[in-house]
Amino acid sequence: MTTPYYIPETNIPLPPTDADVISTACDYCIVACGYKVYRWPVRGGKVGGPKADQNAFGVDFPVEILGPWVAPNQYNVVLHENEPHHVIIIPDKDAKHVNINGNSSIRGGAIAQKVYNPQTPTRDRLKSPMIRMFGVLMPVPWDFALDIAAEVGKHVIEKHGANAYCVKTFSYGYMENTYAITKYALRHISTANFTFHDTPSDVTSTPGFRDAGFDNFGPSYEDWRDADTLMICGTDPYESKTILFTDWIMPAIQGGQKTIFLSPRNTAGIAYAVKNGGMWIDLLPGTDLPVVLAIARVIVENGWQDEEWIRKWVNNKSESSSGFGQGTRNTPWQWRTTWGKFQTGGFEDWTKWLLEQDYAVPEKAAEIAQIDVAKIYTAAEWLAKPRDDGSRPKASFMIEKGFYWSNNTGNTNAISALGITCGAGGRPGQMIGRAGGHQRGGLRGGKYPRNKSPEKLPGRRRRAMDTDRYLMSGHTRLAHVIGNTWIQSMCGSQSLSAKFEELTVQNPHQIRSFDKQEIIETLKKRADSGGMVVFDQDIYLVDPIGARFADIIFPAAGWGEDTFTRANGERRIRLYPKFYDAPGEAKPDWWIIAQLSKKMGFEGFDWNNSNDVLEEGARFSRGSRKDFFMVKVAAQKEGKTLHQKLGEFGTDGIQGPVMMLEDGSLEGTKRLHDTTRKLPDEGAAGANVFNKKLTHFNSQTGKCNIQKAPWSLFSDYWEWLSPKGDELWTTSGRINERWQSGYDDRRRPYIVQRWPENWVELHPEDAAARGIENGDYVMLYSDRIPVQVDTIIGIEGDDFTFTKLMDNGHIKLEKAAITAVAIVTPALKKGVMYMDFLHTSQPANALAGRVVDWISGNYNYKMGVGNVKKIGESPYKHDFRSMSFARRDIA
Amino acid sequence: MTENTGLMEAINGPAEARKSGRSCVLNRRSFLLTSGVATATVMVTMHTAEGLAQVPAVVATYPRKLIGKLSELKPDEPLDFAYPDENSYSESMLVKLGREAGGGIGPDKDVVAFNYNCTHQGGPLQGTYQAGDKALGPCPLHLTTFDLTRHGMFISGQAYQSLPQVLLELDGDDIYAVGMFGLIYGRYDNLQG
Repeated sequence: MTTPYYIPETNIPLPPTDADVISTACDYCIVACGYKVYRWPVRGGKVGGPKADQNAFGVDFPVEILGPWVAPNQYNVVLHENEPHHVIIIPDKDAKHVNINGNSSIRGGAIAQKVYNPQTPTRDRLKSPMIRMFGVLMPVPWDFALDIAAEVGKHVIEKHGANAYCVKTFSYGYMENTYAITKYALRHISTANFTFHDTPSDVTSTPGFRDAGFDNFGPSYEDWRDADTLMICGTDPYESKTILFTDWIMPAIQGGQKTIFLSPRNTAGIAYAVKNGGMWIDLLPGTDLPVVLAIARVIVENGWQDEEWIRKWVNNKSESSSGFGQGTRNTPWQWRTTWGKFQTGGFEDWTKWLLEQDYAVPEKAAEIAQIDVAKIYTAAEWLAKPRDDGSRPKASFMIEKGFYWSNNTGNTNAISALGITCGAGGRPGQMIGRAGGHQRGGLRGGKYPRNKSPEKLPGRRRRAMDTDRYLMSGHTRLAHVIGNTWIQSMCGSQSLSAKFEELTVQNPHQIRSFDKQEIIETLKKRADSGGMVVFDQDIYLVDPIGARFADIIFPAAGWGEDTFTRANGERRIRLYPKFYDAPGEAKPDWWIIAQLSKKMGFEGFDWNNSNDVLEEGARFSRGSRKDFFMVKVAAQKEGKTLHQKLGEFGTDGIQGPVMMLEDGSLEGTKRLHDTTRKLPDEGAAGANVFNKKLTHFNSQTGKCNIQKAPWSLFSDYWEWLSPKGDELWTTSGRINERWQSGYDDRRRPYIVQRWPENWVELHPEDAAARGIENGDYVMLYSDRIPVQVDTIIGIEGDDFTFTKLMDNGHIKLEKAAITAVAIVTPALKKGVMYMDFLHTSQPANALAGRVVDWISGNYNYKMGVGNVKKIGESPYKHDFRSMSFARRDIA
Repeated sequence: MTENTGLMEAINGPAEARKSGRSCVLNRRSFLLTSGVATATVMVTMHTAEGLAQVPAVVATYPRKLIGKLSELKPDEPLDFAYPDENSYSESMLVKLGREAGGGIGPDKDVVAFNYNCTHQGGPLQGTYQAGDKALGPCPLHLTTFDLTRHGMFISGQAYQSLPQVLLELDGDDIYAVGMFGLIYGRYDNLQG
């Protein structure tokens, strides 16, 4: 028997002094560390030497600690202009921002392993378009695949309407691509059957932030560092956005920052914080709201709120209602205020409401969350208690998916109110925002046609279509999937998969012909018969959406294979240049979309390169947090392309929104909502725009709305889900070593050795009670996965509550099961199981309820429940080569 | 050349042999294997579900160095030594884990040795031995931890590769360091600096 093992190399070639050096940024997490690619030709057999004057780093080997060391995983061979080249990709040791002096995570650090090299496990990159003929995906020329796709696409739109054409796409795969995709889907097709990789509906991820007036990414990284108290909810940045922790939060902790974590799982970053004076609030999944409001209650009962800030920056009753009641009541804000569950008449009104909520009494909240109540009082003190000299601690609030995907609306409303109470949101070191997941590469080329959505909520308001539910109802006739893991990435994955299978491969109309016209007719018949055609556009063949269900595959080019642009979690916009040839016939997504659009008869897709796309899209960034329009203005002035101009910023990039100063130079924006920022009195000059969010909040008045966050809107679902009998909570999240579905990590022997397959963490007492040990194979299963069905028209205010949906037969209970290797660790809260969030073969989401947050339309992915039992021993139980069962929270 | 490729294949499997055969830059290991320089193959003992298995590791021109005596090792008390030379980043540790480990020697297969420098950014791991978890770390720089029962595989953290494991041989009571698995931090070649 062997299990995955990896024999490391013991040497590497060094880049010679004349190697090409290309500045870029990492492809993975939100932080987007600066990197340098060192590239030199294989031809000639030249390599650098160990002396400073013999290598491109200009240093002697062995290098110093923190120096430009090259691990074997940072080396690869690529084709560049069709000639083999060595590449070494290491973090930029000259970086002045983000990863200052060149730190890196385990993901980005080994990003050289990502690039296509047929001698490595990347050899299965998609290299040519394919059509499923006679049940098998066969390579075909681009024109052949695109002609068929365009004809079928046109037919579906004409015969079944634009909403029958679904586009499910990544939101972040670089601005050039997202602009092209949204221009195609939203401006030209104008389908409401459109959403992004991480949500069934194109809706905001943080409804409470939006209504309070906070941008998701207002803070700069130095704000997280400069907070005296930092409350981190639903993530350990060390586990998922490493450099944000090691380079910004860890030094702050060393300097005395009090760091508070809300999470059911302890990890290395939390353990480090706790060891150095921080606090871990180890709550049960979904119980954040009572805990957050209890902290707020302690603050207001002691009078520790930031009065001055509140007086100046919080809307009172009339300000809150301003603009209310005019025109159609079709905006989220008006709907919410009309409904009355959230709006307050200002801080005093909110306080009055808060004190009436029994679940916000610390002792009661602690009981719900199963935590030590003392932690609530301590958190309140650290966040808001004035010091002896009367000064206040600078408090900042960071949230991420463990928090906002547990009780989406409630949690984001509650944390916004707590933040406002502590004076956070608009000053250095006193900010509120998301930590972030993926990078920010969205650029809208069209507007979502909400009026075409069938989702109608009480108050005559339409909400973006739930694409999963629409598909389950059989309305989607063509699913165009771009760079994501639809099906496993959505909740209740297994029943969704079954529906895909029924609509595609089980439909009688399957391609059994080599003739293009016959193929087109077959796919049209599929759609007309109530079945569904699937196009999948990706870099690897994804199972099952591509491998089993797709009729047409479009091979995409990614990072380093074309020149792209994207922003990080502090809105830092950077260029990601092309440095090697994409595999085979793989093309960037913008190119694929442009060819398809032209064949479908759409105008405005005559781009020659990715720069053309971005130059066209630049004006659509205006008013957004990553407004880079002025970079284009500067480029044109200087006779450069936009990409050339962006490239000049190197790994520094520039933080959006970008403005042009009088001398023609460009200035970035350190933080949004910066109430300390002084803009020129004479206003915006030239083509500059001063958006309200630069110095005020994203609300109707520019001040914050402090909102109620009633537990009752969610507690019926939470109580229904709560483990019964032998069940345990099941939740999931990122681990440091895997990015998204692991599409790259599965192809890295070093990571595969560490994580050969899906795993589940269990508390020792829960494990012992079930006879489970480290390394056992376990089955996680449930026969009560709640799945919301039917698109209904809401009339009464509570029509969409879980209780009402259940009473009226709109919730179906389904079965689900996945296997995993057990890891028994006291790092986990008792009563909770924790898994990686997206293993394609054993998806954690199978056990998460497919019931959307009924206010926002998002899934609460982190809320699942199930049983667990041992089914045998895994090969890793007695093996020393793969997997480790040591605890991850050693401090 | 053909027989040397055969040797590579026997040791590292056909994929690695092919890679090395086509490799444009001759890495040191393949250079040594294909040009007739003295090469030794050491069998690393690994424990598997079926029992003990011998896994070949490639070792070339590493010194054989006496680093300690089995009878003098106390459980969980690391002994420091330098290997494969006395130069920068040669600091290593020998430890009796008291628990069977990958590559472990001695009657209990629990004696292992590792380089002390974190394979992320070179942070010093001296003094971070965790007896309870049989781990090294967290690294003071960026908190990486390494599992000493699993060939130095990282547990949590940022390291670009496993902690280099010093290959050991037992001769009576004498423990010899005879080679290394993995590139030592700071160096471009374990034996050249």
